[in-house]
Amino acid sequence: MELFRVTRTVYGQPVLQGMSWDLLWVFFGLGVAVVVIHAVYARWFAPKP
Amino acid sequence: MAERGASADRLVRHALVDRLFHWLMAACVLVLLGTAFLPIMGLDFPWVAAHWIAGFILTAIVVFHTVRAAFWQDLKSMWIGGADLRAAIDTAAYSLRLSGRLPVNSGKYSFAQKLIHHLFTLVLLVAIVTGLLMMVRIDTPWWDRNPFWLAQATWGVVYVLHGLAALSLITMIICHIYFALRPEKRLFMRAMILGWIRREEYRNYHDDRR
Repeated sequence: MELFRVTRTVYGQPVLQGMSWDLLWVFFGLGVAVVVIHAVYARWFAPKP
Repeated sequence: MAERGASADRLVRHALVDRLFHWLMAACVLVLLGTAFLPIMGLDFPWVAAHWIAGFILTAIVVFHTVRAAFWQDLKSMWIGGADLRAAIDTAAYSLRLSGRLPVNSGKYSFAQKLIHHLFTLVLLVAIVTGLLMMVRIDTPWWDRNPFWLAQATWGVVYVLHGLAALSLITMIICHIYFALRPEKRLFMRAMILGWIRREEYRNYHDDRR
């Protein structure tokens, strides 16, 4: 998976274009992972005051 | 928290103007993310105008919020101080069962609420500043596009920062909505919709001295 979008000039030099959009699903998955981990923790493991 | 406008059982947590700011900002950010990522996901539509108009509205209301917070609100209520850090450590120790001592109540905002506010501040400021720079590259009613205003490599950095801010917002918004919907946090969501919390909730969650 690429981190950045890169194109090349006519002389072959790399030109930075921005973040790779493949990362969209990484950031989405990270958010879902936080939700799932916290929900599991809160339901079964968190101390009850 | 203000007594003004509150009933015997209710305290005003968020004034109407602050709630309108929050929800208008949320609408702008959702429009910005939708117009940014839906075309990338294959849903093709003319997104550029909607994107920059939502960006302009977001910029205007963030400026409004910054001025209001600086001159009409209590900036200290959002400051992260030593007491907040100690409370955060106590909360972490209690949550991980390393300590049996209950964490102390917070002031108007908890450490977590201050942290997410500052993260949104940072990420939105990066998105706004880079977005305003990128406006130079599109035609608007006020100017013609000029893609050569910055060097190609510099535009690349601007695009990376804008994209990174947008991607970070996806994770942050998922977490923000999840915690707002959690049963023990719903009083704060209700306060962001209706403006008030109950006195009993205030006593349970907040410390007058902080």
